[in-house]
Amino acid sequence: MITEYTATGKPFIHYHAAHCESGVTSALFRNKGVDISEPMAFGIGSGIFFAHLPFMKSLGHPVSTFRSQPGAIFRKTVKRLGGEFVIKSFRDPKKGMDELRQVLRTGQVVGLKTNLYWLPYISERFRFNFGSHNLIVLREIENGFRISDPTFEYPVDCSAEGLQKARFARGPMEGSGYMYYPKTVKLNPDLREACIKGMKDSCNMMIRIPLPFFGVRGIRFLAKRVIQSEGKLGIDEARRNLGAVVRWLEEVGTGGSGFRYMYAAFFQEAAELFGSEDLAELSHEMTVIGDTWRDFSVMSARIIKQRNKPEETFAKAGGLMLICAGREENFFKNLDQVARKLKA
Amino acid sequence: MEYDKIFNELFDADGLRKGYYKLDGQGKYVLDTNPTLGEAVVNGLMLTELRTHLEESRKAVHAGLKSPLFYYMELRQFDLPTLAKSAGIASFRVKRHLRPEIFAKLKPSVLERYAKVLMVTQQELKTVPDI
Repeated sequence: MITEYTATGKPFIHYHAAHCESGVTSALFRNKGVDISEPMAFGIGSGIFFAHLPFMKSLGHPVSTFRSQPGAIFRKTVKRLGGEFVIKSFRDPKKGMDELRQVLRTGQVVGLKTNLYWLPYISERFRFNFGSHNLIVLREIENGFRISDPTFEYPVDCSAEGLQKARFARGPMEGSGYMYYPKTVKLNPDLREACIKGMKDSCNMMIRIPLPFFGVRGIRFLAKRVIQSEGKLGIDEARRNLGAVVRWLEEVGTGGSGFRYMYAAFFQEAAELFGSEDLAELSHEMTVIGDTWRDFSVMSARIIKQRNKPEETFAKAGGLMLICAGREENFFKNLDQVARKLKA
Repeated sequence: MEYDKIFNELFDADGLRKGYYKLDGQGKYVLDTNPTLGEAVVNGLMLTELRTHLEESRKAVHAGLKSPLFYYMELRQFDLPTLAKSAGIASFRVKRHLRPEIFAKLKPSVLERYAKVLMVTQQELKTVPDI
């Protein structure tokens, strides 16, 4: 928690968060006086998901994402908590930057969608072409902007050219200078109803999409592909493919174990909110699922490091994923029952 | 392969800490800033791969197989459609410009468009660094 100031001298508190989108959403709401934490925003926005898309490539490997599509958490949280947001995108970079400066001068903080590669303040280990990184601009400073990037511990400075390049970079998921800020938000929103909606939506997304790529079916689909990958692709390519899966699981701002720990944190808060034993029980269950995913990532890391131990094989790694799939299916079936009984 | 070493060196140097949810002593979730083994290994793997690709493309340019544009495209992690879209040049033309003999004949106006999207100067765009 670090206190920063906007252009008109209003305080803004920078909270460290695990994920960019839920972090920005929660920070914007908190700045307007609605105190929701990051896991809460993640749960209400139904962030948890799984999809394996063999036809979509990132850095040459299929995409396997552990959260819903970019922008959905923000959109759903706003819809469920109530509030009016100004959302704009631009074709002309100059117009986009002028508009940003104008809004900042009124003392309003602005959320932006940027390309991670072009942000000047990050280091080499973060640099990859990902077009949907969210951050908050606090105020204009000399030759640049003061930025609160919730994925990092401290607020940072960013040059104006760098930010412009990051906002208007072309490519998959391009931002076109997408910016958003709250006009009004509903004070004292009905958190309980929003939580129930978020939970039910997550159940639908995880167990009721009748396609093999999404939800629990997607996990099983990927597990089978991991088990077969050694024979099909050869050991080196199979290792690289497995590395890509673990990157989506651990590296891209998931807060550990593909958002599963964050979701467990959401259930802890929800259990307090509803005073419900069932939800506390579900939180423990989600922690166990997170631990299983962690086991999978550690085993995969060992396979990639080529320790050549007989007990670490692709079949075992895939087996751990199948265990995760089974547990998650159970979890979301239970959650579906519990969420029906909760009273808003 | 010691991929996690590569990660740890960068991690110590840049001072940018991400957050990870973790149970504390009382069984409550809190944010922690220590990266996991999985992340260290796969990040190191990604960096190694990107560096190898870049080195290969640099050698290809020196051998006269590819134009310097190819090296800078790899440096900025662009693929062909993205570079074409960013520069506003049709992708079949960009593909031709990856051939050294055609790249050598390009007009400054076209070079300028590439230089702008790749964030390098026109002079830099004509050569690749020799290391």
